[in-house]
Amino acid sequence: MANKNKNKTPEQIAYGQLEKKHELKRPVLKNCIRAFWVGGCICLVGQAFTYFYIYMFNFTEKTAGNPTTATMVFLSMLLTGFGIYDRLGQYAGAGSAVPVTGFGNSVVSAAIEHRTEGYVLGVGGNIFKLAGTVIVFGVFSAFVVVLIRTVIMMWGGF
Amino acid sequence: MEKIFLMVLAFTFLVSGCNFNGPEHRDSKFALVKKTQPAPIRLSSHPESESISGQLRKDVLGFDSIYDVAIIEGPKQTLIAYKVRHLHRFKMKKIEKQLTAFLKKRYPRRSFIVSSDYKIFLETVRLQEDMDKHKITTEQAKKRFKEIIKLKQELT
Repeated sequence: MANKNKNKTPEQIAYGQLEKKHELKRPVLKNCIRAFWVGGCICLVGQAFTYFYIYMFNFTEKTAGNPTTATMVFLSMLLTGFGIYDRLGQYAGAGSAVPVTGFGNSVVSAAIEHRTEGYVLGVGGNIFKLAGTVIVFGVFSAFVVVLIRTVIMMWGGF
Repeated sequence: MEKIFLMVLAFTFLVSGCNFNGPEHRDSKFALVKKTQPAPIRLSSHPESESISGQLRKDVLGFDSIYDVAIIEGPKQTLIAYKVRHLHRFKMKKIEKQLTAFLKKRYPRRSFIVSSDYKIFLETVRLQEDMDKHKITTEQAKKRFKEIIKLKQELT
């Protein structure tokens, strides 16, 4: 704190204190509960789809994950287009962004946002603006984890 | 908020509407949710070789973490599909390893296929029901058995 205040004028420090007094407290617990139950509901729908694929089609528990993911992403894309998922995101925060549905939302919302700039440079160039980070860091972290695992295996670990 | 609720409700009705219409399996409907305890199936073509499925079932159910088991005794291989208690599902691989080792030690002359997959279990229960109702012949049952094994060996 002292470090932060070093380059500030006395007025700025006084303003900072005033701001702190009037600042609304962040409802962390409430946000957590909201994220928990909405995220849980999304996962419940996903589980229902998994069971549906297991019952109705020739998918095992292992292979049913792929069509379930595809369905959930597709549904969230539709809901984003209708403007429902944004409201849900406002209400639930990370609860709607962390499940795989958040990925579909980030793709479509970027596409909608840049629609006015044209199809090629607008939509095409910006569609992975948000989802790109997910892909890049997903691939990168998978690479690192596999590297560690391989090294441990080579040393005769597990 | 109301809109979302309505959408979810409509969607639920939509999904439940087309649910369970397809195959006419009454008891296997809830095979994934509740305890089924299906009777073992025997498809062995050698009647003189003794059946082990009854004993096998007792042995497998002897495991603390397993609460439901379906067995098909095929001509060459025996399929064991089991369900693991919820909190034990974290140790799924370990349980499979233990079960395989146990079976190898106890029945060294038989070959087993062990699976904890719900789909394998469900198909086994469906096959058992069809055989009970005499809907299919033994030949057809053997074919279905082969299909189940194929499903088990499928990779992601």
